[in-house]
Order: sequence, then C-alpha cells, then structure tokens
Amino acid sequence: MSLNLESTETPLTMALPKGRLFEQVQEYFAEKGFHFKFEKRRLVAHDESGLLKIFLVKNADLPTYVNHGIAGLGISGEDVLYETGLRFFQLMQFDFGSTEMCLAARKSYGKPNTIRTVSVATKFPRFARDYFYSQGVPIQIIKLNGSVELAPILGLAPYIVDLVETGSTLRANNLEVVDTLKKINVHLISNPSYYKLNYRRINRFVAALHSDTGNTVPGSSESGRKYADK
Amino acid sequence: MTDSRKRYLQVPQGTEGVHLEEAYRHRRITQELYQLFTQWGYLPVETPVFDFYDIYEPLLRSSARDVYRLIDREGDLLMLRSDITLFLAKQMGLWLREEDLPTRVCYADTILRHQSAEDISKNEFFQTGAELIGKAGSEADLEVLLLLESIFMEIGVTTSIHLGSHQFLTLALKELNETELKEAVQAIRNREQQKLHSLIEAHTSPRRADVITALFSFIGNREEFSREILRYDAILQNEEMESLQYLTELVEQMEELGYARDVRIDLSEVGTQPYYTGIVFQVYQAGLDDAVASGGRYDKLLSRFGFDCPSVGFSMMLRKIENQVAERFGLPEDIVKVEGKTFAEAFRAAQQIREKGGIAIQ
Repeated sequence: MSLNLESTETPLTMALPKGRLFEQVQEYFAEKGFHFKFEKRRLVAHDESGLLKIFLVKNADLPTYVNHGIAGLGISGEDVLYETGLRFFQLMQFDFGSTEMCLAARKSYGKPNTIRTVSVATKFPRFARDYFYSQGVPIQIIKLNGSVELAPILGLAPYIVDLVETGSTLRANNLEVVDTLKKINVHLISNPSYYKLNYRRINRFVAALHSDTGNTVPGSSESGRKYADK
Repeated sequence: MTDSRKRYLQVPQGTEGVHLEEAYRHRRITQELYQLFTQWGYLPVETPVFDFYDIYEPLLRSSARDVYRLIDREGDLLMLRSDITLFLAKQMGLWLREEDLPTRVCYADTILRHQSAEDISKNEFFQTGAELIGKAGSEADLEVLLLLESIFMEIGVTTSIHLGSHQFLTLALKELNETELKEAVQAIRNREQQKLHSLIEAHTSPRRADVITALFSFIGNREEFSREILRYDAILQNEEMESLQYLTELVEQMEELGYARDVRIDLSEVGTQPYYTGIVFQVYQAGLDDAVASGGRYDKLLSRFGFDCPSVGFSMMLRKIENQVAERFGLPEDIVKVEGKTFAEAFRAAQQIREKGGIAIQ
C-alpha cells in the first residue's frame, strides 16, 4: 500500500525552510519516495503522491507557521526552535544538517572570565542567555541578525555564539572556537493539535521516512510501536 | 493620521474588542450554551475579576508568567482572573456545605492573561465551562463528558475528544522522584519517547519501561485501546490495568448512548494543569492551533481552599470556533423598519411587532 491511496483526503501541510537545509531535505525526501519541486518563485508545492502540501518559508519564521497550525508539520533545526520557546512535538530527528552551537573569539583569546560580565554577540540570544546562566556566568547579550563574525573583529563584543559547520568562516576572520556548547540537530516537528487530529496519517508518513524503501511499503506503524514490539 | 488616532489603535497585549456581528454572534452562542447548561441543571456562577496572588501562585505552574499582577492600596499583590476554574475553586471551597452537594455550576466570562506576539491569535480571552462538584465516580465523569459532547453537537462543529488518565500516570510513574516526574510529564506531553523511556528504565525492568512508554505514546479508538492493553496484561499491575479499563468503560457507555462521535483514548493527555487526579481530556478541532476545550477530574483542588470534595469539569475557549459557526449565529435578518406619519404612530406599530416577538425599528 502506498500512502497516496489516501489522495481523497486533504494533504498534510508542511513548512520547509529556505536556505541551507532545503536541498538536503528535498534529496532525503526523494530517496524516501516523496518527490516535489517548486516552480520558479513559487512558495507552495505539492509532492507527486499528493500526500504533502509544502510551503517554503524563512527559516526563523517556520516555527511561527507551525505554532499557528498554518503548516501542521515543519522541518527545523533545534537552534531556531529553541529561540521561539514554543511547544512542538518532535516526531523524528534527521541524520543530515546537524551543526554545532559554538562560542568563538579571536585566536588565543581563551575562555571567558567567569566573574566579570561577558559580552556576547549572537543571533541566538535565548540560547546564549540560558547556556551561560546555567554555567553561572554573567552575560550581556548583543543581538545581531547576521555576519556575527564581525563583532569581535570590530570590537563590538569579544565573544560570539553562533552555528559552526566547517569553521572556515571563523578561520578566514582570524577567529577560533573556544567551546562547543551543543550539537544542533534537525527535526521533523508538528503542531501538537494538528498531530492529535491527523496522527494516523502522520505516523504512517514518519514510518515511511524511517524505512529504507520509503513511500512504497506497507506502513502500519502506530506511534510507540517501536517500544511495544521490542 | 492624527497622533491620537494612532495612540487609540494600539491596545495592550491580552485585550480585545468585539464589535457588531462578532459581538452579536458571541452573545447568541453564549446564551444558547447557558440554556443548555440550565437544561442539564448547571446554574451560573460569577467569579471576582481579581484576587490575592499568593493564594493561587502554587497552582499556576508555568502560566504564572502570563498572569497580570497589580498592587492594591494596602500594598497587597493581586492578580487579574486568568483562569476561571481557579477562582471558582476558591469560591466553592469557601461557600459550599456538605448538604449542598452535589452542585452543578457553569460560567462564561472574560479572562485576562498576557499573550505574546506569537500567541495573540490564540483567542484566549473568554472562558466558558461547567463543573460538577461533590460527586465522584464514573457517573459524574460520564455526565461531564456527555455534556461536553452535547455542546459541540448543539453548536454544530465536528470535534475529537482525546481522553487520558491522570490516575494511570500517578500509578505508572510512582517510582520516580519529584524532579524526574516533572521531566517525565513534560516528555509525555511532548511525545518525547526516548527521554521518557530512559527516565522510567532507571527504576524498572527494560520490558516494563517499553510497555509504559508505548502506552503513553498510544492514541486510538476504544477497540484499538482494548486490544493494546490486553497485550500488556502480564506486565501491568492490577491497579494500573483497572485505571485503563475504566477509560474503555467510559467510552463504551458514551458509545451506547450515541455520544461518542470521535473519542480517542490518548494517555499522553495528562492535563495542562497540575491539579488533575482522575480522567483528563482535551478537545481538538481541525483548523485550530490548539485544543478548544480541556478538563478532567480534580478531587484535591477544593481542599486547598478548605473544603475537601471531589470535582469534575471542563472549560472551553469558544471564541476559537465562533467564526466557524457564523452562518448559524448570524445577525437577525427580519428587522422591520416601520414608517408612520408621526413618530408616535410608527412607535405603536413597532410595539405591535415586538409584542409578537418580531424585531422592529420605528
């Protein structure tokens, strides 16, 4: 049984983030039998099986769309989810797209002094604040929206908290990672209410993503089966 | 645009104005509900708009930061009514006597709480609900579930009731300490199976941890649930099994009475408030960002206010669904504009129409 047998039902709605994750998601979904592409400049697309209606939204706005139930499902990194402080079901963790949230500074600057208040520039003020408070370190946060690497160079703040993938941008700007704060994974999330109403179809969809053969095999997984059938 | 108009357009977060058609619709739905409540023997109660903050603080949990607080002239810290159930519990705890029980009450009133810019469309400004106070047992639970289902049938919206058990939660996680229990409840509510599993596994056999995790992740109809729990007969303790069978019996009775349009047993419903003790439920509706109603049994809440008696009830955020029933609760169409040579003549003619139950403008 393929999932598209249910085409009489309205498709599941899902928001995908523009930018670095999008192509990885598209490729991963294609491997699992869910094919879709966006026409030029269009922001809404359907997958070929008719199961999914997909919206392309700005990374940082994705949780807002899912929180309001406009998109029932979404794919997002923990960095963005954490900043919103909203409640979502995390249905599945993907093995692509993970990065690290790091503390960085100019080379040989070393770890921050834990007694004096430390200035940190970041796009992730909530994460930075919670992290340093949990370590007992007083912190002053300067919120930036991009090119955070400039802050230590220009003297805005000695430290930055930012996502680091390869570290090449840091090196190019004569900065280095002082500490790795957290591994950041990419998740399939759901609006809780949307999940409760559509749990059967969503569970089958997640089962298809988990299976090697994807959207072509019988998918009868109920949630929790993983533990129940052990 | 003038400066004053700009200023008037700004409203504080957590307030709303309702106008014309919307206000009329809201009134009509509320009236219809009051009528239904009355027919079931639930009579209205009014709660104060503000009260002392410290009384409620231990019951607020994470919602404490959304409460509006103010200082009165004596320097006492007050809070504005953010949840009618709480204010009602105090009133009932204070004024009820044994001989009044059981008591059936209902309410429909404004609540005031802060809502962030992300949450502002949640429409949680007006709370309607009912409580059956002083009656324990399945008949009381059943009555409240039937009343809830009747309301949604009456106003004509399709909903799904998700029914869980706080009693099962307490039994299944009794080995966990307070901190672990908090984490486990969070993991259950957010369906974080791995986290829940590892919390349980620290205290029990891997197989039991598997079963408990699977149960808290389960959602399904009564038949599916009955089949599911039978598989775990050897692992679950008698009391746990009984608390689960209690749910199937409740739903079965609802089915027999024809009031179980879409009831699912869902043990991840453990209640959004810390005071539940028995059944817990939430009601979902397509197109909404959050549950439209929630409730359950809370046998210990009133005792916090000096009167120990069981209680079961629910509250609804009806404003969330009002625009979906706009057609049924639209403005009156047959308004007669009466013409006359003089105002007095028109007035008399209009009065005649009003006496027959019509709507007239002179």
